[in-house]
Amino acid sequence: MSLVVENLRITGPEGLLVHGVSFTLLPGEPLVLLGETGSGKSLLAQAVMGNLPPGLHAGGRVVLDGQDILPLPPRDRRALWGRRIAMLPQEPWAALDPTMRAAAQVEEVDRLVHRRSAHDARQHTAARLARLGLDGAGRRYPFQLSGGMNQRVALAATEAAGAGLLIADEPTKGLDAELRDTAGALLRAEAEAGRLLLVITHDVALARLLGGQAMVMLSGQVVEAGHLPVLLDAPRHGYTRRLVAAEPARWQAWPHRQPGRTVVKGRNLRKSLGGRELLGGLDLEVAEGEVVAVSGRSGCGKTTLGNLLLGLARTDWGSVKRGTWVAPLGMQKLYQDPLAAFAPHQALGQGLADLRQRHGLAADAVRHLLPRLRLNQALLVRRPSEVSGGELQRFGLLRALLLNPAMLFADEATSRLDPLTQQDVMMLLGECVQERNMALLVVTHEAALAEKVASRVISLRTAAA
Amino acid sequence: MTLSRKRLLGGAMLAAVAGIALLGPLHGVDPLRQNLSDALLPPGGAYPLGTDHLGRDMLARLAAGARLSFGLALLAALLAAVAGTLLGLLAALRGGWAERMLLGLADAVQALPALLLVVLVTAFAPGAFLPLYLGITLALWVEFFRISRNAAAGVLARPQVEAARLLGFGTGHILRRHLWPEVAPLVATLFAFAAGTAVTTVAALAFVGVGARPPVPEWGSMMTELLPYYAEAPLALLLPALLIFLTVLGLHLLAGRERA
Amino acid sequence: MRVLGGRAVQAVLVALLVGTACFLMVRLLPGDMAYRIAASRYGYDLVDSAAAEAVRQELGLDRPWLVQLGAWFADLSRFDLGTSLASGEEVADALRIQLGHTLLLSVAALFFSLLLGPPLGVLAGLRSGGWLDGVLLALSAALRAVPAFVLGIGLMLWLAVEWEWLPVAGVGGWREVILPALTLALGLAAASCRVTRDAVAAVAASPFFGFARMKGLGDTAAFRRHGLRNAAIPVVAYLGLQLVVLIEGVVVVESLFAWPGIGHALVHAVLGRDIPMVQGTALVMGLLFVVLNALTDLACWLLDPRRRTA
Repeated sequence: MSLVVENLRITGPEGLLVHGVSFTLLPGEPLVLLGETGSGKSLLAQAVMGNLPPGLHAGGRVVLDGQDILPLPPRDRRALWGRRIAMLPQEPWAALDPTMRAAAQVEEVDRLVHRRSAHDARQHTAARLARLGLDGAGRRYPFQLSGGMNQRVALAATEAAGAGLLIADEPTKGLDAELRDTAGALLRAEAEAGRLLLVITHDVALARLLGGQAMVMLSGQVVEAGHLPVLLDAPRHGYTRRLVAAEPARWQAWPHRQPGRTVVKGRNLRKSLGGRELLGGLDLEVAEGEVVAVSGRSGCGKTTLGNLLLGLARTDWGSVKRGTWVAPLGMQKLYQDPLAAFAPHQALGQGLADLRQRHGLAADAVRHLLPRLRLNQALLVRRPSEVSGGELQRFGLLRALLLNPAMLFADEATSRLDPLTQQDVMMLLGECVQERNMALLVVTHEAALAEKVASRVISLRTAAA
Repeated sequence: MTLSRKRLLGGAMLAAVAGIALLGPLHGVDPLRQNLSDALLPPGGAYPLGTDHLGRDMLARLAAGARLSFGLALLAALLAAVAGTLLGLLAALRGGWAERMLLGLADAVQALPALLLVVLVTAFAPGAFLPLYLGITLALWVEFFRISRNAAAGVLARPQVEAARLLGFGTGHILRRHLWPEVAPLVATLFAFAAGTAVTTVAALAFVGVGARPPVPEWGSMMTELLPYYAEAPLALLLPALLIFLTVLGLHLLAGRERA
Repeated sequence: MRVLGGRAVQAVLVALLVGTACFLMVRLLPGDMAYRIAASRYGYDLVDSAAAEAVRQELGLDRPWLVQLGAWFADLSRFDLGTSLASGEEVADALRIQLGHTLLLSVAALFFSLLLGPPLGVLAGLRSGGWLDGVLLALSAALRAVPAFVLGIGLMLWLAVEWEWLPVAGVGGWREVILPALTLALGLAAASCRVTRDAVAAVAASPFFGFARMKGLGDTAAFRRHGLRNAAIPVVAYLGLQLVVLIEGVVVVESLFAWPGIGHALVHAVLGRDIPMVQGTALVMGLLFVVLNALTDLACWLLDPRRRTA
């Protein structure tokens, strides 16, 4: 069993999108394609699978078990799906039919592709699910399963038809660190079981977990290839080096400063949501010049804790006191999804002008801050959806800084950004906080990030997971 | 068809109907004046669109009907839109008992199909105009209320509003910059559909005899009157039907999108 | 089952609303109530003050209005709808016969519309952007701009008068049902075709449909297993809303085709100011609407497991 790709090129209406990529994939040694959004790595997977978006064309050779499949008509390409080539869906909770029980979605492959009897199919499926640790989950619907369980159900359904080649496109998109690790382990087990495995990701940590070979793509070209983990331990190309350095674990730790006056102080904070206790009597004090991180899994109440301190949510019990010297608008927030935090129909400059007018700020306040945040003045006429995520988050920082806050609350502010952009925005945030001697409260699910930036880390555990 | 061409076509249809409404006064003939010796004439001569079974001028009657539909039906829809949207925004912003009360009221009104509600209201005084239009407004405001309240509540739950409040902005700013840009297009689309419903309702009720009554020149009641003469004067029957169709289709096309 | 509880509350609301409206109608109508009722019963020429007084006594119009309202709702809660002012017939008896006709017409109309709308919608949705999609889109837009009575007149003149295929109006065998049912069905089909098309197109573009194909399922199997049910959920929910069209259409179409159902009776009652009859017919139509909505809720509940457990 093998997959050989020779000089694969993908062209679109605006020209060459992927420039001549070649690789050989053998059983037991996964191939990881690393690169950021828009580098063309997903197109490569689609070209192999045979589901390129309309208007795009692939050239070169894709040889699966000795047969060049690229010139085959679409019907014959479709016939390979599931049986010879399988693709693990992105965001499995969206890829499973919401109205069908989990086991039935796996079982139907046995019945309709392998033409097994109902009884056989049920037994095969039960065994498959049990192997993935999903006993008893088959009777439930996808919305009754956790994200990790959905991912395993999707994997069971993907491999049910018995394809020798498994492609996974961004399998860890939207997962927190813990789920990412289990997903990595599952995929590695697939490769060890003798499948050809092609994984596409921008997550360096996932690449380390998988091992095997790796290729790094930058704007449609492979800039570096080699074996893992050597390639990541001793990167040669500048882009790979930056990619590796952008991993939070490799960051330089932020300097710790002497805490000044207390900005806000929460005592014995309790909060329940939907009958579940998130916080059970927590004390937290944040002072000027201090960086405090709150980390934990998704749903553990870390965002709620920040909102309590900012007065955006009410405690069930306990008290929140802000320093008497802190101005009414002296605590500001950066949001996880910057796009949702701006009025979508309004140019960015208009929003800032409104803010300037509302608070009687100096006419050139915005113009002074733009270069500090490495933002181009030309972006002011654009709407939030017309700038990149990193730029928009920096605009979020800009409008907060205009009010000279005593404290900033960064709520997973960089978790949706590419690794390089994340590093960029976090560094800028750190510099601004230091220059202005502000307090910074960072909420994150990445333990490594929390370690590097904060002088104090508070780990929240879920009461019952 | 692209959105802008759809809108253009819809606008042209409405302009044609509005043109007929304006032609009436220029034409200067009393829509009620009978001349039995000129009954059921084809278009031509002194009667550009012919006459009906009582020898009344069709153009004058169609124009008067257009003024009725355009003037009063659209006014009723407009009143419903303004009231419903304001109440919807109020409910979303205030929340609490005000919102619960308004939602309960909306439920009560929507428990009955709109036409049934209008018929019930018109039953107070069959043939009179005021209850007819009041009934239409009463039935139509609910959808404006629901759509604007739901859209506004959706926006209010988004981080963008929390961020605006953190930055020190008040309710006026949130209304202007955050709620209105989301709610306005929905209300505009709904208005086009609601106006279509109003025009159809006025005509349908007049047709069955519950709404406007002869000799009032209303498109629906004109059709009732002319139905027995379909063989002699098919055009006279077709014209009011065509105008209703053009008005409603024009409004739907102008809306551009599907209603939510 | 909380859903159906909500519908029960709605049913009570309908009764209260219709009851109050009709009561107010009796109280607020201009002129002497008793005199006018007597007039509608015996004709204007035969009415004198004695007859009016008799009516006043009979209906208890001289009691305080709060007592009257109480009595009104007490009667209503026993489903005692009184007698028709115009014919003297028991309202409940008349309604029973009319409801039968209306149900026959509604079921026939729903049947025709389901035969036309959803299948065409599925075809258009699976090939959205194709020629069939374009034609159906234009056709359904045009149909939705034609009020039911205009459509009915058109069908009547064309199929019954010109071609003489079907009887013009009235009631009797199955041939009489076709025209009014078709009139109602075309409007419903236009709406359901459009919604089905959108729902099918949305499902066909959904990640789970794509995944079903990637698993190795053929197009037909993928649509049968994952397309139909998921597309049906929004269609059924929307059809529930569109039932308003059916109820409203019934009023107009029954009048046009002289179909002796509830809608026809309602219009007559309003014209004749036969208030017990107005109340009875409006009540039954309102309740019919609630029952149809409850059935829609039930269908959604059966189709969508998320509703069952949420």
